Amino acid sequence: MASTETKLRKEIQKPVSHSGSKVTIVGAGQVGMVVAFSIITQNIASELTLLGVTEDKLKGEMMDLQHGLAFLNNIRITAGTDYALSAGSKLCILTAGARQREGESRLDLVQRNADIFKSVIPKLVHHSPDTILLVVSNPVDLLTYVAWKLSGLPKERVIGSGTNVDSSRFRFLLSERFNLAPISIHGWIIGEHGDSSVPVWSGVNVAGVRLRDLYPAAGTSADMENWNDIHRQVVQSAYEIIRLKGYTSWAIGLSVSILAVAILKNTRNVFAVSTFVQGTYGIEHPVFLSVPCVLGENGIIDIIRQTLTEDELDQLQKSAATLNKIQSNLIF
Amino acid sequence: MATSEQKLMTSIQAPVAHSGSKVTIVGVGQVGMACAFSIMTQGIASELALIDVMEDKLKGELMDLQHGLAFLGNIKINAGSDYALSAGSKLCIVTAGARQREGESRLNLVQRNADILKGMIPKLIQHSPDTILLIVSNPVDLMTYVAWKLSGLPKERVIGSGTNLDSSRFRFLLSERFNVAPNSTHGWIIGEHGDSSVPVWSGVNVAGVRLRDLNPAAGTDADTENWGQIHTQVVQSAYEIIRLKGYTSWAIGLSVSILTKAILKNSRNVFAVSTFVQGIHGVEQPVFLSVPCVVGENGITDVIQQTLTDGERAQLQKSAITLNEVQVNLVL
Repeated sequence: MASTETKLRKEIQKPVSHSGSKVTIVGAGQVGMVVAFSIITQNIASELTLLGVTEDKLKGEMMDLQHGLAFLNNIRITAGTDYALSAGSKLCILTAGARQREGESRLDLVQRNADIFKSVIPKLVHHSPDTILLVVSNPVDLLTYVAWKLSGLPKERVIGSGTNVDSSRFRFLLSERFNLAPISIHGWIIGEHGDSSVPVWSGVNVAGVRLRDLYPAAGTSADMENWNDIHRQVVQSAYEIIRLKGYTSWAIGLSVSILAVAILKNTRNVFAVSTFVQGTYGIEHPVFLSVPCVLGENGIIDIIRQTLTEDELDQLQKSAATLNKIQSNLIF
Repeated sequence: MATSEQKLMTSIQAPVAHSGSKVTIVGVGQVGMACAFSIMTQGIASELALIDVMEDKLKGELMDLQHGLAFLGNIKINAGSDYALSAGSKLCIVTAGARQREGESRLNLVQRNADILKGMIPKLIQHSPDTILLIVSNPVDLMTYVAWKLSGLPKERVIGSGTNLDSSRFRFLLSERFNVAPNSTHGWIIGEHGDSSVPVWSGVNVAGVRLRDLNPAAGTDADTENWGQIHTQVVQSAYEIIRLKGYTSWAIGLSVSILTKAILKNSRNVFAVSTFVQGIHGVEQPVFLSVPCVVGENGITDVIQQTLTDGERAQLQKSAITLNEVQVNLVL
């Protein structure tokens, strides 16, 4: 006797087993889950897989996401510890990783995270050979390099979330001073994500009117209007938010989901993301740093050539040297 | 000497102090923050105020949300413990409340939560006399009654999130069996949010084809296809997700944001929300239970009159008696 389900439907053909725009997120922590929720509510992926190490947590998060689907366009969600679940992904987002212990050296942290990536990256690429990797785990520029080395993928397909969120923070803080919407204030932070990031003051503008044309000393040591404080606040942001609420999630999660939109929809928007910069701006080392990049379905398409001051170029080259030193001591 | 900000802009008039679609969320726990993030990323409100008691947590959450604004339509966000921040809200969402202690009676929990609302509701009304209240705190049907009593607002402006979420879970689980999208699968759970909710099996349909026409026993004890198991799963969902990941957030956040959108946009969608049901389906007590309601800018405008079975009506009336028994013993 036919079941109700078969009575309801006359089958025409089987549905596809793997749909066209599948995303895998590795790590179901605060950041990974905000990325997942943002992707789902923006309706950009047809399939989402959450991978991690804790089965219960993964299952609970999956159920909680699925229970909202009646309000949204459908998306197939799976979750678990088996990397086979990630097969056929257009994009794999890495949010998993160890956090810095008290007094731990950067090299130690990177090595610990490189060891985690050693077990994760090859499996992802094995199940989705044509995927793009988007690395969020910190220190992001170093780990993007590690992911690239472990993946065997061409450099344009391995991207670090980099200073996209630093730039967003920069624009918000600028917008508070100008009393305008953040999306109408343009400003870029490039280079190393974190303490050594580089604010490109020459580019800061509203409606094409440059801050430096209104006030040439903006962001320099002669700045009497104290625009530099904004960059300081950007650098302190993560530490401050962690101190206040325990972790950061919303801004970084949103910033990563925006990159996912650009990649899945081939929008060719420009974002400050961490990419291979050897040969750019006189950088000699094989490192990843953030510069404004055009993003599309096949990854990084172009780098936008900003006109940087000598000081800005110096800072980038200094970061490159520091990163390279650490990279040369890593064990793969 | 003019500042850069003044040099950039010629002022035409001062911006409004309070914009048209302001939402306040009381409680910045997992549910409150999921509501906030859902509302923000869907561009539903022009202003958002977060109220709670923990200043650091509030500030951290505020900063983290603001740092994502460069990627979104601008929204003014404030956070703090002062209810004056909520002034001018079109909608106030209450997520704060005590959780059930081990062995605690329902009456005791409700009294504790009623005491919390006593300190909250009058202040919200004072600062936004024309607001709509949307209650999420549990047990939601009782808390909506308490909020209504404390607010002095007409009953149509006090709404409980009710079984909107139960219905979403119902539709997801049904969709898994039918293998069609959740938003193409229609089904309503009404009555008391939680263990005693009522699945209206007669209404379950896909493209207007009713489940009961395909399987007349669906949802009854005689059902060999065990559709009733789906309702059991809905009732267990929250407990299960809490067991797995510690709390629920995404689905309830989405459910609340969808209701928010309907209210702010006057969209007049139909949702199962908790409303004053004395006189409906033979309910004699002055209680709040979920039934399908038309929701708009002025709150509940209509109740959809479903044809219920004797059994379904009896369940609603039984819930009403239980709720009323608790209500009459409350000290308000």
